[in-house]
Amino acid sequence: MAERIFSWLIMVCALLVVAALLWVLSDVVLQGAAHFSWQFLFDAPTDAGRGGGIAPILVSTLWLLLIALTVALPLGLGVAIWLSEFASSNSRFANSTGITLDILAGVPSIVYGLFGNAFFSIYLGLGFSLLSGGLTLACMILPVFVRTCEVGLRTVSNDWRRGALALGMTRSTAIWHILLPAARPAIVAGLILSIGRATAETAALLFTSGYVDRMPGSLLDSGRALAVHIYDLAMNVTGGDGAAYASALVLVTLIIVLNTLAQSLVDSWFKRRLVLA
Amino acid sequence: MIKALASAIVLLSAVLNLALAQADNRQLTLTGSSTIAPLAMEIAKRYESQHPDVRIDVQMGGSSRGINDTRMGLADIGMVSRPLKSTEQDLTPFQIAMDGIGIILHKSNAVTALSDAQIIDIYTGKINNWQKLGAADLPITVVNKAEGRSTLELFLHYFSLKNSQIKAQVVIGENQQGIKTVAGNPGAIGYVSIGTAEYEQALGTPIKLLPMAGQVATVASVAQGAYPLSRQLNLVVKAKPEGLVKNFINFAQSAEVKDLIVAQFFVAPFSNSIKSGVAGE
Repeated sequence: MAERIFSWLIMVCALLVVAALLWVLSDVVLQGAAHFSWQFLFDAPTDAGRGGGIAPILVSTLWLLLIALTVALPLGLGVAIWLSEFASSNSRFANSTGITLDILAGVPSIVYGLFGNAFFSIYLGLGFSLLSGGLTLACMILPVFVRTCEVGLRTVSNDWRRGALALGMTRSTAIWHILLPAARPAIVAGLILSIGRATAETAALLFTSGYVDRMPGSLLDSGRALAVHIYDLAMNVTGGDGAAYASALVLVTLIIVLNTLAQSLVDSWFKRRLVLA
Repeated sequence: MIKALASAIVLLSAVLNLALAQADNRQLTLTGSSTIAPLAMEIAKRYESQHPDVRIDVQMGGSSRGINDTRMGLADIGMVSRPLKSTEQDLTPFQIAMDGIGIILHKSNAVTALSDAQIIDIYTGKINNWQKLGAADLPITVVNKAEGRSTLELFLHYFSLKNSQIKAQVVIGENQQGIKTVAGNPGAIGYVSIGTAEYEQALGTPIKLLPMAGQVATVASVAQGAYPLSRQLNLVVKAKPEGLVKNFINFAQSAEVKDLIVAQFFVAPFSNSIKSGVAGE
């Protein structure tokens, strides 16, 4: 009897989560589709965002994401490799780096926004620009990405490392051809988490990449991210709810497309290498 | 390594700044109140379309940020959705619009006026039936605004209430939604932007606007500054405005942008100027 109640409860938990997710998604899709048209993707916003489309906002969002990933991915992967392969497990420095990363991962994004505003926008003089927004996002996604990759690398069995050693492989070859491909699922997970967090970010971007909804001409122009646009339409603009839902629909679709893309890219890249190795 | 990276970034940004500096005199930055930001952006777009060589960036972040940035020179113009305080007299305000909110009831409700104390009692749940106010025996449906709405802030500020004290039966987002809720419920009380309410009333929607502190709730009354439940929407500058700053402020105060002010459900601060001409959605 107890067993049956237990499995029943577990089932209810799963159903609740799926139902909540479906509810949110269907709300966004139904309400968003009413205001959405293909032209919406290619027009500039008019009348404070109630009319027109989101073309410049979409372009700004993609630029922000590109800058953030270009900076965060190589750096993050490097730190993860150092933490799991090079730093000795009881070294003070490695431990405190790990703890710092965990704390940074839990810091609210508005704090990153204020830091980015103070450091990139004001101290480095980048102003309200895509560059300061993208760099702020990079700082924000780094801790999560590093930690996920590090855990992935650590879970690779030591037999693989010994095997590589026995074959006379150098450390860099072993990491590049054996360990990284083996940690592939974790790297993909880290990438997906990072893309999701960066694309859906509002607070960190409000004070760094800004509010301007013009088509960006350079990386030093201010540009409005999709999430900021949705926030503005829902909170500040009377009659902006329709356009807010349509933008939310685009945002959700964008995240799904980017995640699928990231997954297949990492997969094909690493698969090829495993075979070669 | 990190030092080299940092100095590289500094160097890069210095070079980029130099490139930007040449265009500086044709560029304006506005920061401040999120209530004004959408309006300022529309005004800026119209100004840009008339002066193609000018670029105006509008950033938001709240009235106090607008004041700070203007003081520090980070912004040419600040946007402040309230009058300047006595500690802020180093700045000069230029009013571009007014924002007023009116208390609305269903047209069939016999109540013609409520005191501030009565409104507080209704919104905190102490009075929950219209009978106590001399009208029909009907429970009161309190309609409140969702968190984050500027009308909510103004309402709470005027009555010195906290949002947690309000016992609302219905929480709404938009003005239109509030009007529909009250129009469809004879026992409801709500508050919406006066421009929207007057427009709907003229269309025959069964609502009525209550006077506040003896002042009729009309766009004209807000425009004259007599109506109490309203606030100024200001542009502020540090020094005496010159050149582009001056031109833009003049433009924002001119008749050329009235339709933009009305389209954002605000009130142009000059009597007889727009009367009840609220743009439809």
